[in-house]
Amino acid sequence: MSERDKIDMKSGEHRETADPSREEQLSLLLTITMEVAAASDLASALDVVLRRVCEKTGWVLGLAWVPNQDRTVLECGPVCFCCGEGGLTKFRVASEGSHFRPGVGLPGRVWELKRPAWIEDVTQDPNFPRTKAAAKVGLKAAVGIPILSGDEVIAVIEFFVQESRAKNERLVKVIAAVAAQLGLVMERKRAEEKLSSTNEILESILSSMGDAVIVADKEGKFLAFNPAAERMFGKGAAQTASREWSHQYGLYLPDKVTPFPPDQLPLTRSIRGEEVNNVEIFVRHDEAPQGLWTRINGRPLRGPNGELSGGVIVCRDITEIKKEEFFLFDQSRVLEMIAANASLAEVLTSLVLLMEAQADGLRCSILVLNQDGKHVRHGAAPNLPAAYVKAVDGAPIGPRNGSCGTAMYLRRQVVVKDVLTDPLWADYRKLAEICGLRAAIERQRVQETLRERDARINLAAESADLAFWVIYPEQNTAWMSDKGRKMYGFDSKLPLTRDLICGRVHPDERAAVHAAFDRACASHGLFESEHRLILPYGKTRWVIVRGRCLEDEHGSLLELIGVTIDVSAQKQSELQLQIQREEMSHLNRVALMGEMTASVAHELNQPLTAIANNASAARRFLERGNIDPVLLQQLLQDMVADSQRAGEVIRGIRALVRKDKTVVRSALNLNAVIADTLRLVSSDIVLRESVVVTEMDHSLPQVEAVPVQIQQVLLNLIMNALDAVESRPPAERRILISTRSLNGESAEVSVRDFGTGLPQDRPDKVFDHFFSTKQTGMGMGLTIVRSIIETHGGKISAENAPDRGARFFFHLPAARGDSKSQAA
Amino acid sequence: MTSSEKSDAEIVCLVDDDLSVLKSIERLLASDGLSVRGFNKPKEFLSHVQAHSVPVAILDIWMEEMSGLELRAQLSGLSPGTRVIIITGREDPVAKLTALQMGVVGFFTKPFDDDQFLHAVRGALAMHPIE
Repeated sequence: MSERDKIDMKSGEHRETADPSREEQLSLLLTITMEVAAASDLASALDVVLRRVCEKTGWVLGLAWVPNQDRTVLECGPVCFCCGEGGLTKFRVASEGSHFRPGVGLPGRVWELKRPAWIEDVTQDPNFPRTKAAAKVGLKAAVGIPILSGDEVIAVIEFFVQESRAKNERLVKVIAAVAAQLGLVMERKRAEEKLSSTNEILESILSSMGDAVIVADKEGKFLAFNPAAERMFGKGAAQTASREWSHQYGLYLPDKVTPFPPDQLPLTRSIRGEEVNNVEIFVRHDEAPQGLWTRINGRPLRGPNGELSGGVIVCRDITEIKKEEFFLFDQSRVLEMIAANASLAEVLTSLVLLMEAQADGLRCSILVLNQDGKHVRHGAAPNLPAAYVKAVDGAPIGPRNGSCGTAMYLRRQVVVKDVLTDPLWADYRKLAEICGLRAAIERQRVQETLRERDARINLAAESADLAFWVIYPEQNTAWMSDKGRKMYGFDSKLPLTRDLICGRVHPDERAAVHAAFDRACASHGLFESEHRLILPYGKTRWVIVRGRCLEDEHGSLLELIGVTIDVSAQKQSELQLQIQREEMSHLNRVALMGEMTASVAHELNQPLTAIANNASAARRFLERGNIDPVLLQQLLQDMVADSQRAGEVIRGIRALVRKDKTVVRSALNLNAVIADTLRLVSSDIVLRESVVVTEMDHSLPQVEAVPVQIQQVLLNLIMNALDAVESRPPAERRILISTRSLNGESAEVSVRDFGTGLPQDRPDKVFDHFFSTKQTGMGMGLTIVRSIIETHGGKISAENAPDRGARFFFHLPAARGDSKSQAA
Repeated sequence: MTSSEKSDAEIVCLVDDDLSVLKSIERLLASDGLSVRGFNKPKEFLSHVQAHSVPVAILDIWMEEMSGLELRAQLSGLSPGTRVIIITGREDPVAKLTALQMGVVGFFTKPFDDDQFLHAVRGALAMHPIE
């Protein structure tokens, strides 16, 4: 160690002659620094350093050393530079075959000490294993410089010259500075490599994922297109313009035929910066002629500064889920057909198609037991050859008569694994062979009687969430599907009657249900009712019941068949909604009160002031002892009148703010309601320096309405109008309220302001929830207004008036039997 | 409550568009021995001012025809010597500030204390002899 250190520390300024000048050194530093900074990787950076140092300093050989993978030895490479005679190559080859442990040789020494080392003459150095090779080619002086990345030596460079030289501090500093630059390049390079290994991990995830992942840059160039994507879309990433994608990859709207609009594609949208959620696309191409359903989510990609740089989409194959959905949809369609009393053939055909859609190659047929109870009849087999249909139609049932005939005979499910070998199919084997049938699963649910209609009801009852029932009035018996027994809370064994079924109806509605039954039976007509059921344990259900009467061939009543639908959940949410509506409406009225503070305070203050003044006047007159009894009388009368006036104001406010459970409609004269309402807000109108002009049609018919609610409508419209004109100069703060009779059939009220007007594109938007242009508004007022008008059977609209401002107008139907009577 | 025997210099004018309030204040003033002339409409009062001298005017702010402050502004052109007391049915700091800047001698929010009010009116009457 001491020996080496001694050599390192030796300096010989006097032997500098062959070294570059200070200026040259600076220029060297600058050149190398720039080139190194521009280098794309470590090898090229090392190459630059070795080459430039040799060129500028006259050193003849430059070698680079890097630690091996487990950092036990230094190895020569990846680059070197030598100039001058070819003899140097021998030394280079000797170096390339060498490995140095830390501390061994010049490279090992530099590696261990992490600082430059200078040898004046390698042939004299005790720790220079390559002495012989160096001596052969005449190399003498050598310098080694570490390249540090952080605290770690990532490479060592060494330079040789064929003469002995003392240590040149400046040169060492210059090269060390260059080496520092190299270290930076190395760090960058490592980060890149790390990134590329991260990329590899991502790559492997992407390639093993079941979901398709596609990444594109902002020009729509694909950056990633994983194998699942290639499978899903039939081909890989082809670089075409994004508007071609729909065509190229067979992307369609859910109707399966309209090509997906290119600018609406999830990837295109995500590249535009949108977040795309759950878009369904139907994909059909040569590899998937049946097509498949995909559900796609997309996200934009952003650069480090948040700028858009592309988009990524993840696509999931949801074909199976869709099949399920379609199955449910078709199932409910079949039920609808039954409810609509479609013909048996139509219903059965739909059922067969529904079943066949469940698996490729599945063929179904439905056979129905003939009225004689001994033969099968063709029901539906839309995809089986006519020969098959013909052969089975009219076949007898029996213990070994095909799967269907056997099922009917045995009254249980029969499963045949292979029709070509199963004994049940012995008689039909030839037929099956012709038709290419192998497995048959045929079901037959057995009922008391297997007449057509019962079969039909049961098929539906099986899969439906509905209760099916039949009432036989003659026998006073009834049948109900299992679902129905559950819904009505009947034990599955209990023999049913109409009275039992009606006994479940809520007592309040029972008489009406009985009457409806009787009416339907008498007229052989339809039965429809919405009522509550009370179940044995006190549970209540809301149900809708629909039924119809069936007659026999002589036209006499055979039975009453029908369905019961449980609508409790629906009812519950309707009730909830109703309560919410009332709450909102009430909140709106309270909020209106808040806005009308001026009017409320003023309306109360006036009579209170008058009372107080009259009272103190009376006291003073009495004190002075000269009161005129007539004056006193007047004083007291006025006080009573003013108290009543204050009471009216309070009553008015309470009526408006009260949560009214019972809303009673009465015949109203809208002109009078408008006048009352204006009185209520008169102070606010004055305070806001606005003018309200009224034009009343005195032939206006009366309407049937809840007074407080109509007042609420008017208050909302008037307060809005006041807000709308607020920004206008006082002279223009006008509001026009007019009424007119529409042929005596309905009454129209119009509230028009001269303010800023409504949104140009869609004036009706103001009726939407939470639409508000006001800072303090809840955005509920007009929504509530509309709902009030609509519950009264009326209609409200909004428009921009031709010159300026907005106009709201609503009409309510004339009170029944009152359309001719005219309001005063 | 108008009194033909008294000179204009003793008669207080009162303007309020609420009849029952108007009547009650007239009575309050009369019960304290003051002469008062009430106006239901600001414009009627303005034409009265053109023919008579008015030492003290009590004006309501929020009236449909014209606000009390507006009336005060017009009045100061017609009769600069008139002392004005403002009454209002509404707490309104801005209106109060404006009124005080206009040089009114009293500002009362209804309903008001009778003693303070009458004191203010008497004070206003005694302030200056009418020109």
